[in-house]
Amino acid sequence: MTQPSPDQPPAVSLRGIVKRFGDVLANDHVDLTVAAGEIHALMGENGAGKSTLMSILYGLLRPDAGTIELAGREVSFDSPARAIAAGVGMVQQGFALFDSMSVVDNVVYGAEPTRRGLLDRRAATAAVRELIERHELRLRPGDRAGDLPVGSRQQVEILKLLYRQARVLVLDEPTAVLTPAEADRLFVVLRELAADGRTVLLVTHKLHEVTAVGEAVTVLRDGRVTMTAPTRGLDQGRLAAAMTGREVDLDRVYPPGRPGAEALTVRNLTVRRGDRRVLDDVSLTVRAGEIVGVAGVAGNGQTELVAAIAGLLPADGTVRLGERDVHALGVRERRAAGLAHVPEDRGEVGAAPTARLADNLAVGFHRRPPLLRRGLLRPEAVRDHAERIVTRFGVRAPGVSAPMRTLSGGNQQKAILGRELAQEAPVLVVEQPTRGVDIGAVVGIHTELVAYRDAGHAILLVSAELSEVLGLSDRVLVMYEGRVVAEFAKDEADAEAIGLAMAGVTAP
Amino acid sequence: MRGLRTTALAVLAAALLGAVLLAATGANPLVAFESIVVGAFGPDGLPDTLAYAVPVAGMATALAIPLRAGLVNLGGEGQLVLGAISAVAVGLQVPGVLGIVAALLAGVLAGALYAAFAAVCETALGVPLLVSTLLLSYPAVSLAAYLVRFPMRDPGSSLPQSEQLPPDVHLPALADTGLTAGLFLVLAAVVVYAVVDARTPAGFEARVTGWGPRFAQYAGIDRPRLTVRLLACSGGLAGLVGAVVVLGFPYRFIDGALITPQYTWIGLLAALLAAASPLGTLLAALFFAALTSGGFALERATQVPRELTAVLQAVLIIFLAAATGLLRGRKGAA
Repeated sequence: MTQPSPDQPPAVSLRGIVKRFGDVLANDHVDLTVAAGEIHALMGENGAGKSTLMSILYGLLRPDAGTIELAGREVSFDSPARAIAAGVGMVQQGFALFDSMSVVDNVVYGAEPTRRGLLDRRAATAAVRELIERHELRLRPGDRAGDLPVGSRQQVEILKLLYRQARVLVLDEPTAVLTPAEADRLFVVLRELAADGRTVLLVTHKLHEVTAVGEAVTVLRDGRVTMTAPTRGLDQGRLAAAMTGREVDLDRVYPPGRPGAEALTVRNLTVRRGDRRVLDDVSLTVRAGEIVGVAGVAGNGQTELVAAIAGLLPADGTVRLGERDVHALGVRERRAAGLAHVPEDRGEVGAAPTARLADNLAVGFHRRPPLLRRGLLRPEAVRDHAERIVTRFGVRAPGVSAPMRTLSGGNQQKAILGRELAQEAPVLVVEQPTRGVDIGAVVGIHTELVAYRDAGHAILLVSAELSEVLGLSDRVLVMYEGRVVAEFAKDEADAEAIGLAMAGVTAP
Repeated sequence: MRGLRTTALAVLAAALLGAVLLAATGANPLVAFESIVVGAFGPDGLPDTLAYAVPVAGMATALAIPLRAGLVNLGGEGQLVLGAISAVAVGLQVPGVLGIVAALLAGVLAGALYAAFAAVCETALGVPLLVSTLLLSYPAVSLAAYLVRFPMRDPGSSLPQSEQLPPDVHLPALADTGLTAGLFLVLAAVVVYAVVDARTPAGFEARVTGWGPRFAQYAGIDRPRLTVRLLACSGGLAGLVGAVVVLGFPYRFIDGALITPQYTWIGLLAALLAAASPLGTLLAALFFAALTSGGFALERATQVPRELTAVLQAVLIIFLAAATGLLRGRKGAA
């Protein structure tokens, strides 16, 4: 790693940044200094102000007060385009891709190579292909962005940044959707970029990432900096305490469930995309009182499995809820038959960002009492219903009438999970329940899921977090290239064997 | 509050720009504005404004219904005309009060079925709704034009118009205001839309679909069925508006009489500006009706050419659109 020389001004220097949203002080006089060639982690719970701070640095938001300096020069961005021109690039949590365009088009968009004034497709494809190979990403240059699962879409976002050769790279939870191996590969890339003199700002919730790749860490809580320290010799307990204001037990072990009757039965489920079987002859069973975890690298059919079970994606094979064959039924009928679903994409699928929180939470409850009485929705019942979920699941929101998008990512997730748990459906299918959620909330969500299981419900848990799958599941299935390639009971599941299966290596 | 202020600012800015334009043509802007206001709300103008506002508000609400779910019905004209010609055809056959009811029902049914057909073109055949509604509009208008030129032509006239409906198939007039009981039908439709939108599961699901199609699918909303139903409601109300117009003075279908006043397009504009919210759509429709009505007065009272009044309206509409866009944009940034 390059040693920043004392006379060299810091690559990024934020001083006294203040940003207020209505009554909420999202950033309260935040100072952040990052040397050139440093990988600096930014930690904090949901709503602590990390995303706001990074949005200010990236020109998405304008601070109410404070200054931004890049390499000693004061700058002021009124748009991300200005920030990019000044060498600041950001991968956000939500994706900004053109779904109908190819990976190449998405990456070069806005900075296209040209030849005699015309787009030079060959050069563009070559440049992108080279980047993909150099960084060992699982992407094909010609694939349509909209066809890619979330994990691959995020890789495209990272690729965009690499293509633009930004001097300061901001990554907002880049590893949330990656497997440990992929995350390690990303870290190699980040270290390489840092060694090259670039500056990396890594927004993350994961303690081990901070120590694995970060050289320094800044912790935010309630909009204020509560800790800035080098990561060498860092005490993880102190870090967690700085984030949450309390010590967090990270190694909680949940007792096994007591499986009962079959609640969800999937037989020979197959989804074709063109000639490819993205979901290939998958059979599985989840019993009442049991959590079955699905591990796997993002993009190996988990998304399609969940969509096919939920009825969002046409599939061959059978799906049974309890005794009932729901294969021919649509989404509404499957939900009515006792299926709740937390999708991985909370911005577009799981919620409506522009709509009120209360309306988001009313979905699925709007055709029965107490929200509905004598054919009419009761506004006060809609509000009470939302208040109950907000209170029970500790959703931090300006109010239930606030638009969903005013909540931080983690609080949106809590709201969606709360809504689906409140359905009290016998079967819950949950995808990436804690993606982008802070450590304190992760424990809360895990506790809720286990309690839901112990109340006699069946849970199918799909997660890219191996520790999450291992910690919660009574059985673990591993998916690879659309198939279930391995199954482990709780006591025989270990990270190494699962990791191998995720990579396609299974014992004969 | 901020909405009101921004809207007021937009109107003011448009008025200023309009004043410059008027002054440039040699007219006195103050006199011109006065004639617009007096023309719209003065004792002579108000009845005209209200008579014009009824079909505009009706069409605005009709087009707002699918717009709430993000669906644009561009075929309002066809549904309106089909409703009107069907109402006249039935009204000429069925006598008495029963005739009024039958004519209104025929108008609703014709508009609803025709719009639902356009919806089925999308849900079953994959023709985009924008295209199917707009293109199906032309044959409907042409069919009505043909009918009043040949089979349904008034033999006592050289104009392309139907025979007059018998007196007992006229909608009751409201004193000497020039309005008919159709006003209450349109108002009732607006109230029903407002209640359904805010308080029923069906209205809620339409709004959910408007917020995001993928969210709606996830929530289990059957989009094709919703599309057909919303279009049927939209076309039905458009057909009702057509029936209400022809069951009022001059009690007949005159070719072009429903097209020239631009009920449909001004209605669509109002619905778009108000983001299809029931009350907002009504208010926007009334405002545009007053503006158009005042524009006619301006033409009569001053030497200002007709084209310039159209320009004035356009300026105002653009400023208002910018203001509403600005409001939504600001909310979006938060």
